[in-house]
Amino acid sequence: MTPTRRAQAVLTTEWIKLRSLRSLPITLLVAAVFCIGLAALVCSNYATHWNDVSASSRATFDPLTINFGFLRIGVLFFGVLGALVVTSEYGNGLIRTTFAATPQRVLVLAAKSALLGALALVASAVVCFVAFFAGQGLLSGHVPTVRIGDPGVLGHVLGAVAYLTGTGLCGVFLGALARGTAVAMTSVFAVFLMLPVMVDQLPHTALWRHTVPYLPSNLGESMWHSHTADLVSAGSAWSLLALWVVGLGTLAALVLRRRDA
Amino acid sequence: MSARASTAIPGRAVGSKQTTIRLRATADSEWIKFRSVRSGPAVLIATLLAMVLGAWMVGVGYHGGYTAADRASFDPGDVTLRGIVVAQLLVGALGVLTVTGEYTSGLIRGTFIATPQRRQVLAMKALIFAGVVWLWCTVLSFAAFFVGRAFLSAPVPRVGLGDPGVLTAVVGGGLYLTGIGLFGLFLGVLLRRTAASLAALVGVMMVLPVILALLPGKTGEVISEFSPAGAGFQIWHLDHSGHNLGAWPGFALFAAYVAATAAAAFATIRRRDV
Repeated sequence: MTPTRRAQAVLTTEWIKLRSLRSLPITLLVAAVFCIGLAALVCSNYATHWNDVSASSRATFDPLTINFGFLRIGVLFFGVLGALVVTSEYGNGLIRTTFAATPQRVLVLAAKSALLGALALVASAVVCFVAFFAGQGLLSGHVPTVRIGDPGVLGHVLGAVAYLTGTGLCGVFLGALARGTAVAMTSVFAVFLMLPVMVDQLPHTALWRHTVPYLPSNLGESMWHSHTADLVSAGSAWSLLALWVVGLGTLAALVLRRRDA
Repeated sequence: MSARASTAIPGRAVGSKQTTIRLRATADSEWIKFRSVRSGPAVLIATLLAMVLGAWMVGVGYHGGYTAADRASFDPGDVTLRGIVVAQLLVGALGVLTVTGEYTSGLIRGTFIATPQRRQVLAMKALIFAGVVWLWCTVLSFAAFFVGRAFLSAPVPRVGLGDPGVLTAVVGGGLYLTGIGLFGLFLGVLLRRTAASLAALVGVMMVLPVILALLPGKTGEVISEFSPAGAGFQIWHLDHSGHNLGAWPGFALFAAYVAATAAAAFATIRRRDV
């Protein structure tokens, strides 16, 4: 079999498995409803409660930041979804058949991440753009708003899309490293939800500035957030997050070849 | 005496003895399962790392970076015990896995055939889990306090166990983690699947506070105050300003949420498939 034929066959197989994963459509639907709903809820709350918002909060108010606050949670859906694509196969034992049929395990992982990446890209683009237009629409008339054409705004929306997609890919690789659903999910929650709570609010000492901004959650923050004091610039955040994805992917590929299925 | 035993109610006398034997046997088997599941010791070690490294990280974080703004909001309980933020995820996951692991592997069928008294099985499981986790997490809570404190030097205020509220916070750290673990365990009984139970636990305890913090005005604050996470957090924090619930009332409300979940688990475990 030529390498091209094999790659095509693996992609087809993986696509069938991805499509028939029972938790996939429901997770995607819940993620979309949750993210767009939360953006709408927060924005409409600001619109109706603008008179109660304190002067200091108004001074730092940024329509894009409150609109995209859902990303702090939304990212978990994408990470968990990526992890489930791999761990569900370990859970039901199908992985043994997969690796018996295609002993080129790295190729299987590449196909899985390519398909999940494409799916996450489409899903997160829909979520972020719909959330943006719905959120700004709800804010307008009551509160300052931004438009997609304003300087930097499109960049932040695309940054949000890239952050969600990158997290989906990190989830795939964490799933391959962990093999079990529980460990993989716990890792996603620890890295993207609990670690930021623990370290983000610490004093911004030199040590803090050399470590904390490079966490995936804070790189994401640099990509979509407008106030990024002490964090890395949006431009470098894109490449550094890509570095995380490539790093995790390499590690997963190395480990996958050596361990039992 | 033998006449009494043979004429009166032999069934009951034998029955109560059987119950004792059965409870002991159930306790034995639950204990074997708890310590032989690979994730048990692994998670408990990870919890140690989270608590002690967390205290170290946060202690080092405050080293030389203490500003006037930090001074206003400084809470020594929150600082030395911040590792709980990650440890709660680990202990909660262990609680979930203690139950769902058995459903996934199918062992639960063997367990319930051997002991059809499902509520006794669940009670023993919860008791053994709570005992081990409480002991371990209380030790870790004290360890984290002393490690974190060692890294706090002037101008950062340094507190001792004798200062008001401090002992409550440190003991409370162990109690809070045990509560989270039991919450996960009973959610596992209700949902029976690892991914769903883990998502429910994380959703209620860790995601809800983030969502509520996004909402402007009073609504979010009020719901957050009386949510399981908001109530449970009070016991290991020293600064209760701006909160209606203090350390113990907050913990009581948190315990009530766990107890309600437990009641639902005990009510449904008899009726459902394994």
